[in-house]
Amino acid sequence: MKNLLVILAIVLIALPVFAQKGNQLTCSGSTTVLPIAQAAAEAFMEKYPEVNISVRGGGSGVGVAALQNGTVDVALSSRPMKSKEISACKSKGINPVAYAVANDGIAIVVHKNNKLSNITVAQIRDIYTGKIKNWNQVGGANMPIVIISRDVASGTFEVFNEKALKGAKVDGGAQMLASNNSIVTTVGTTPGAIGYVGLGYVTDQVNIVPVESVVPSEATVKNKSYKLARQLYMYTNGKAKGNASRYISFLQSAEGQKIVKSQGFITLD
Amino acid sequence: MKSKKMLGLIIAIVVFAIPVLSYAQETRLGGEFWGRYTNETAKYKDASGEYVNKMHKNYFALDRGYLDFRTKFSETTSARFTVDIFSTDASHEYEKYKDVYTNAQGSVDTLFSEPTKSSVDGAGLKLKYAYVDFANLIPIPDMILSAGLQKVYFGSIYDWTYNLIGKAMSDEYKVADSADYGVTLNGFIPHGLGEYAFGIYNGEGYKKFGSTLKENMDFSYLGNIRITPIAGITIGGSYMQKTLEREESLKEDKVNYKYQEQTSIDGIARLAYGPVDVWAEYIQKDVVYPNKKADEKLFVDYKASGFSIFPTISLYQFIGYDVQLLGRYDSWEDRDSKEKWEEKNTLPDNPDHGNVYWKKEKYINDYKLNAITYGVNYNFLHDESFVPKMQVQLNYTTKKYDAEDPAEGLKNEYTDGNKDSSTLMLQLKWRFSSTIK
Repeated sequence: MKNLLVILAIVLIALPVFAQKGNQLTCSGSTTVLPIAQAAAEAFMEKYPEVNISVRGGGSGVGVAALQNGTVDVALSSRPMKSKEISACKSKGINPVAYAVANDGIAIVVHKNNKLSNITVAQIRDIYTGKIKNWNQVGGANMPIVIISRDVASGTFEVFNEKALKGAKVDGGAQMLASNNSIVTTVGTTPGAIGYVGLGYVTDQVNIVPVESVVPSEATVKNKSYKLARQLYMYTNGKAKGNASRYISFLQSAEGQKIVKSQGFITLD
Repeated sequence: MKSKKMLGLIIAIVVFAIPVLSYAQETRLGGEFWGRYTNETAKYKDASGEYVNKMHKNYFALDRGYLDFRTKFSETTSARFTVDIFSTDASHEYEKYKDVYTNAQGSVDTLFSEPTKSSVDGAGLKLKYAYVDFANLIPIPDMILSAGLQKVYFGSIYDWTYNLIGKAMSDEYKVADSADYGVTLNGFIPHGLGEYAFGIYNGEGYKKFGSTLKENMDFSYLGNIRITPIAGITIGGSYMQKTLEREESLKEDKVNYKYQEQTSIDGIARLAYGPVDVWAEYIQKDVVYPNKKADEKLFVDYKASGFSIFPTISLYQFIGYDVQLLGRYDSWEDRDSKEKWEEKNTLPDNPDHGNVYWKKEKYINDYKLNAITYGVNYNFLHDESFVPKMQVQLNYTTKKYDAEDPAEGLKNEYTDGNKDSSTLMLQLKWRFSSTIK
């Protein structure tokens, strides 16, 4: 019993001791949200030079796990947190609160020379599960399809899997890449390739293919007529406070939403 | 023997890996290894018959190793295969629990093979997990059906992270096994409000299967729930019921005195706030031998209960290094009672009394263990999510056994292998994981 009291005393002594965090704010997670977070951080630090914001990628899962482990202030995620992740956070005393910071559409991209004018969700699923292997099966040229996908730890993959693949397994021959940039680069240099990226990553290297005859745009993403629309999030432990609150509020403000637009993503309003 | 086992391991991995790699969407190969130094002193008799402290353990060992394959066939179907490598555990378990098993569950020799008892191989292998998760068979969000050799969702054992070197309470005191063959429904309550599991298992743990199972036709039934009403506060409970052996022996339909009914309950509470994380757990296990009771000539039961408090303080945000201070207090009471009665014929001085029963033997083995552990962890390598990849653990544990009622014919606790002891352990634990595809 005496020993028990010693342990309890240690706990009680330590309880009120909390370190003061300075003007440092750390963010990590989704590579899709990364350019928005970085551009917003630069603008924010220009406005408030006393604040230092560090932003890292790694993927939505990495950001959520880091929030759970208490090592970041803001987790970037291109998908909503899962029940399992929320439960793990809460049991460790972390209360994840979501802030939507942008809208996005997952664009289906093909090589510049591929003039495919439309694709259905069912065709996307059949291509990614290996049932359709040639572009001529979906109205394109006679050319083998090269499947390019994000790795399964990616939030973009998870949303794509849920909305397009309906949980089906990606064909074993697919190239699983770790970033949006590498998807665009690979698709842009591979004539038969198909890939998917957040709208902000689409460049002139690739063509966007309308899904169910709907082109991903501000209007179609906002009214959700584009089937692969989603929101992008920042998560904090509890309601955002201090610099995290100021930073997220800045990003959600008209000034911050201009940054969202400048990065190729779609604003919240 | 060792080379045969290693060959077996390699074959098992190859046999499992080839089809998995050819079909899986993603396969992750991981592992962790615990290299440990142990120094322990305990009470032994000296020449005069007095108990004195003597050092009886002083060694380095690879105490544990796990090789872990996790594969995702699709977003809704995944599987896990884990091999458990150990160099010390078996022989120590034999020494530690031979009397407990003998008293409560029959001969310990049925539970440990000869090589295991002596650990002549230097290292042993066990299959720890081999199960498949199906997330799409039942149309309930976040519910998974798991089939195969899997976790036993009892108390804290299924998510015990070995942040202290010691085992989870239900593992340490042999209330539940950490893994078993069975089928479970497990999942998470929406909005992060908690988790649940319901399952049926063989009931004898992952070390036993097929012909090594006792003659038992019944499964073990388990229910577990944890609720996190607000962030940082978790409460939960587990209930497990099982039988061991058959009510009647298989060969002759005779009443089987080894038949026993076990009921185990567990309650946990967890408080996590900032750098402080405190677990508390209560366990109770009751073992009843109905056939012995019915006979009325031999009454044996076995009861055990205890609680544990396990606080952790993380110093990372204060000193910039991932250092944790840990403590653990266990109180465990083990009551193994036997009353043996012998039928005796008519008393000579009372011929009209008829047959009576005379008490031949009354035997009570009752002890209370108080164990306390102080620990320090230094996690000096992490992955990108700050999960420790390399960890140094220093633990100091003292165990003290108290006799509750010597007048009841208590066995000397030292003869049970329950020796007051002090143990120092220094452990280097390292983990790796890599996505193959």
